[in-house]
Amino acid sequence: MTFDRDTLLRLLKPLLTLLVALIAMLVLWHLYSYYTYAPQTRDGKIRADVVPLAADVSGRVEEVHVRDNQAVHKGDLLFTIDHVRLRNALAQAEAAVATAQATLSAAERENRRYQGLADIVSGQQRDDRRSQAEEARARYAQAIADRDLARINLERSAVRAPVNGIVTNFSLRPGAYATAGQAVMALVDSDSYYVAGYFEETKLSHVRPGAHATIRVMGEDQPLSGHVEGRSAGIDDRERTTAAGTLLANVNPTFSWVRLAQRVPVRIAIDKVPSGIDLIAGRTVTVTLDGAEDALTVRRAS
Amino acid sequence: MIGEIDIAGIFISPLLLCMIVGFAVRLLLSRLLEAAGFYRVVWQRPLFDTALFLILTGAAFIVLRLVTRS
Repeated sequence: MTFDRDTLLRLLKPLLTLLVALIAMLVLWHLYSYYTYAPQTRDGKIRADVVPLAADVSGRVEEVHVRDNQAVHKGDLLFTIDHVRLRNALAQAEAAVATAQATLSAAERENRRYQGLADIVSGQQRDDRRSQAEEARARYAQAIADRDLARINLERSAVRAPVNGIVTNFSLRPGAYATAGQAVMALVDSDSYYVAGYFEETKLSHVRPGAHATIRVMGEDQPLSGHVEGRSAGIDDRERTTAAGTLLANVNPTFSWVRLAQRVPVRIAIDKVPSGIDLIAGRTVTVTLDGAEDALTVRRAS
Repeated sequence: MIGEIDIAGIFISPLLLCMIVGFAVRLLLSRLLEAAGFYRVVWQRPLFDTALFLILTGAAFIVLRLVTRS
């Protein structure tokens, strides 16, 4: 049986086209796997710990020693609270110490004298003097403690930087009233920068602690390098709340047919920052972990 | 590996760029193949063209990855 040219062509035509289509399917699968399973995310942020700094004693702000965006070292003076009243309180406490000391020495003298007159005075009188001396000693200790507290308050009227950092969004001026415990300025801890990569849950099996990470900051040419420090133990369940009145679970009854992978924060320590890139908390980054290529081969092999 | 493509401040995934490149190259290639008479041995032309587009997009992706890595 022989084929003429036309029959041969008619048989070969679908074969060639289908072969090309098959290759296209493979390419599509490769791209799909890369975007679905490779441990990389475009959803990353540079983060830093922020100290919401508050005064420890209430009072009018007297002097401000820093300006906005200034880098400060641990222990640097930031601002001072008006300390006239605090110094006055310390003077008062010191006077109280002097009074208590005078009372104490008088009571002790009298106690000693009474103890020496064992034959003349009654036992009850001797006991009274002894307890008076003990009370005076306790009051003296109390006065000392009060004075130490007043001294600490006076010292704390000077607010110092608790960490190395950068003063941010700062607009405190002398004359403002600072309430104890209420934050008046934000200090970004410059030793605490890290990258939070929000990885989809489909990619988490390829996220291993210690894996090297390439971090591209939006708008910068040079990539940062880092490594995976760990991943979150949990994220919020968006389908469930607790009802306020009954304290029972309130589960969202509308379940969507299209489900999206949750994103889990992965903490990435920054190892190397190329010169010229300033780390700014909140910047957008793309994180690619080493093994993004391997993920594909592993996926296909399994 | 692959960063973002910046178009006037709008950052998009590099895959979109690859698709645009793939589309353009496919148009050009189709015209060349047409002139060479290659389409006589093609069975379903739309299927073939779609497949060609996907392959070219993938090729552009690989090229971009190699270029940005070095």
